Amino acid sequence: MLSALIVSLKVVGVATLVIGVVGTLLALLLARVRFPGRTLLELVLTLPLVLPPTVVGFFLLYVLGRGSPVRDWLGLDLLFTWQGAAVAASAVGLPLMLQSARAAIAAVDPQLEDAARTLGRSEPEVLLRVTLPLAHRGILAGLFLGAARALGEFGATLMVAGNIAGRTRTLPMVVYDAALNGDLALAAQTSLLLSGIAFLALFATRRLEQPAQR
Amino acid sequence: MRAAIAVLLALLLAACAGREAAPPDEGETTLLVSAAANLADVLPPLLDAFQEQTGIRVQVNYGNTAQLAAQIERGAPVDLFLAADRQHVETLAAKGLVLPDTVRVYARGRLVLWWRADSGLALSSLEDLQSASVRRIAIANPDQAPYGAAARQALQRLGLWEALQPRLVIAENIQQAFQYARSGNADVAFTALSLVVNESGQRLEVARELYEPIDQALAVVKGTPREAAARRLADYLAGPEAAALWQRYGYELPALVSR
Repeated sequence: MLSALIVSLKVVGVATLVIGVVGTLLALLLARVRFPGRTLLELVLTLPLVLPPTVVGFFLLYVLGRGSPVRDWLGLDLLFTWQGAAVAASAVGLPLMLQSARAAIAAVDPQLEDAARTLGRSEPEVLLRVTLPLAHRGILAGLFLGAARALGEFGATLMVAGNIAGRTRTLPMVVYDAALNGDLALAAQTSLLLSGIAFLALFATRRLEQPAQR
Repeated sequence: MRAAIAVLLALLLAACAGREAAPPDEGETTLLVSAAANLADVLPPLLDAFQEQTGIRVQVNYGNTAQLAAQIERGAPVDLFLAADRQHVETLAAKGLVLPDTVRVYARGRLVLWWRADSGLALSSLEDLQSASVRRIAIANPDQAPYGAAARQALQRLGLWEALQPRLVIAENIQQAFQYARSGNADVAFTALSLVVNESGQRLEVARELYEPIDQALAVVKGTPREAAARRLADYLAGPEAAALWQRYGYELPALVSR
């Protein structure tokens, strides 16, 4: 279980970073820029939220595997690596981040941004000093939710990264294997650990959404 | 916000550090085997013996045969494929993704009916499944799992399939079917002898003429940089030294059956 915990932490660490950076940029794009195909992009990015994870994994197997640009042109061979697992975890965590961050950014009053512009602030400054600070609660709430979802990812990860002890076996896979092999004690312990972490992430999300209440 | 970012960066650094430290076994060969989940018990002792003899380390990716085949098809860095059937290996061979001369049957599965000792059931033939005291029969998905298909075949040949339909509980695989019966949620389960050979409980082996042989085939994946070592492992697993262990874990050996 310890090696799976380490794998899970690495996967969630990288996935959280990816979800945070990519999610914030995409949320800005979707909330503030009008362009053809915006709805289509939003729907495609939200798909992993509702698709069975094995379907997401199956797509990713093609995106990352033999014959794909990622592998053949970029030379990134991510199948059966924990980095590949991080890609799968990011894909399923991203929609949760987008929902929350996009709403938070859209709720920032454009007049405040315009005020900053009339005071001579450049666009990046407006973004960093006005828009993002005002939306930070929604962005962080989405980040925690996305990270929690990434931690619990199972189906897509299994497809893309396999289930190799010490290499790509994550905590949810330990639960699955233990339950199938009748090791109910290990399954229960690991489930409790995962539940505890997920509970903390949800609690943090809640506090961010409703700061005044206790 | 700063604290959150600091934690993230720390995690990322730790992750990268872990990556640097990952390959400690310079010069030592490590093979990656994709193996059907029903091998989870028998494979570790076999691989330990192989490593002791050759110094070659083996890591295993356990999973569902169809999924493992899909991964190999997309170029997963697997050296050797141990399937739960023959068909998936032969399909990969036809597509030129495994080395055709390495394809061979390494073990033959045995179908059993299993039930808890404390269930009060006394079954001496499959016909006894019609008894009113057998309410739920767990079976692996007959359209996907080889042992599920074999169980369906046996029940069909005995003319029991239709009558028993309402009592069937379909599991995803044989491990799950077995867990249904072990936990008492099903009265009996069709499963592999290899899964229950070291379990307490009652079992009844299904007569072999009632189902097509459950042949499990292996093949070395084409293009692996560790082909020589993978071939050695394939030879070892299908060879005479491994035979006793396969049999102890409830498998038959095709070489001994057919030749």
